Amino acid sequence: MKDKDNFNATLAAATCALLGSAATPVAAEEEAGRWSFDSTLLYYGESDDRVQDISAAVSALRDFGDERKLSATLTADTLTGASASGAIALNRPQTFTSPSGRAVYTTAAGEVPLDDTFLDTRFALNASWSQPLARLYTFSAGASFSTEYDYTHLGANLSLARDFNKRNTTLSAGVAWSQDDVDPVGGRPIPLSQMLDVGNGANKRNGGESKDVLDLLLGFTQVLNRTTVLRVNYSYSDSSGYLNDPYKLLSVVDPLTGDTLVRVPVGQGPDGVYVFESRPDKRTKQSLYAEVKHAFGTPVMHFAYRYMTDDWGIDSNTAELRVRWPLGDGYIEPQLRYYTQSAADFYRASLVGGAALPRYASADFRLGDFDATTLGIKYGHGTASGNEWSLRAEYYQQNGSVPREQIVGNQANREQYPDLSAVIVQFGYRFRL
Amino acid sequence: MKKIPLCLVLLGLAGCAGVQPWERDVLARPEMSLDDSPLDAAIDDHIYFSKEASSGGRGFGGGGCGCN
Repeated sequence: MKDKDNFNATLAAATCALLGSAATPVAAEEEAGRWSFDSTLLYYGESDDRVQDISAAVSALRDFGDERKLSATLTADTLTGASASGAIALNRPQTFTSPSGRAVYTTAAGEVPLDDTFLDTRFALNASWSQPLARLYTFSAGASFSTEYDYTHLGANLSLARDFNKRNTTLSAGVAWSQDDVDPVGGRPIPLSQMLDVGNGANKRNGGESKDVLDLLLGFTQVLNRTTVLRVNYSYSDSSGYLNDPYKLLSVVDPLTGDTLVRVPVGQGPDGVYVFESRPDKRTKQSLYAEVKHAFGTPVMHFAYRYMTDDWGIDSNTAELRVRWPLGDGYIEPQLRYYTQSAADFYRASLVGGAALPRYASADFRLGDFDATTLGIKYGHGTASGNEWSLRAEYYQQNGSVPREQIVGNQANREQYPDLSAVIVQFGYRFRL
Repeated sequence: MKKIPLCLVLLGLAGCAGVQPWERDVLARPEMSLDDSPLDAAIDDHIYFSKEASSGGRGFGGGGCGCN
């Protein structure tokens, strides 16, 4: 009796498999020759009137059949607001020359200096083509372009994947190259040169500089069982060229009080001694990324972890968890991300006046020691016509610290690291034509 | 000599290759795809790239940015 049940089950499975394989080409034909779109509208807003961004993106995918696919994504970003300049807070107001060199701006006493002349619009276009090259091999090629007022990016990538073990294992290798051109507003400041008065461009160089990035990626994907899939990637990235942020500063402080040294402007200009940052012109990053997807019945869990290390002394760990729960005609997906990084070797909260200048120094808070947590939730809803809309809300919080040995005098009593919080709201719509 | 480790790895993985083509009902669900929300992933990558010192890992980043 039991054998008969087993036989029936096997027969049923075999029938399904045959029906399934017969049904696939029909479904594939329906998919082929149609465009599918994924679109999104995003608001990103930082607290304290810092960076605000509204972005719109639309991604189009066309399936030409036989696994040949073209995809293209167009993104537009509009940024406004202020961003931390790297200078330290003081008990007195501070005046700075704006990056354009044409005006001054002032920061109130006790406040972390923000450069509020920040305004930018960015357009980005990515396109990629993928197709089988031979049985078990998939080839893909892509190109990317983006442009903003002071920055242009041009990139290309190629990758090849091969399936093994009844397509339960995939090994892939890819290479990407990009060339970015940086043409800062008001010119490129000479690294570690002092901020000058309005109209004095003696420490700035006109024209653009470039940055080349070479990325290599080795990937491994494995189906672990009927409900679990694993992906592991190793990436190597080599950047060379102009890696400075031309708008970032460091305060030069008194060795005893820790307050910024006073400077008397000739005309309009900074009332303290501030220098422009200096970063190495090479950076090598390596990362190991692992991701698991597992279905617990209908709910699906996604977990990802990344370790990154670079030759600037930065190590980072990132963990991300998402769980997608079915809910009515849609789903709800709580999301949690935790990130932690150590500071770059040349991170300095400020420079001490009178001491020899280091070769490299930056007070950019993104190169400091900090943790960040993102808490979010997404709701997706399928429509009767097979399309889907979604709403995602996230809260991002960064908390950093300055190494104790870098805190001088009065700096201990003030806010040293510009903690950051941001709200992200995103509306998405997927549809087919 | 260099080929041996790769062979061993592939042989070891063959042990994981117990999932037959007709057993892929769950794996075939759109939400089980490792790239089920590429636009969300691109947006997240862009935000974190502009606020943190790390980037990439999942794949190649799309489009540079003067924000970092």
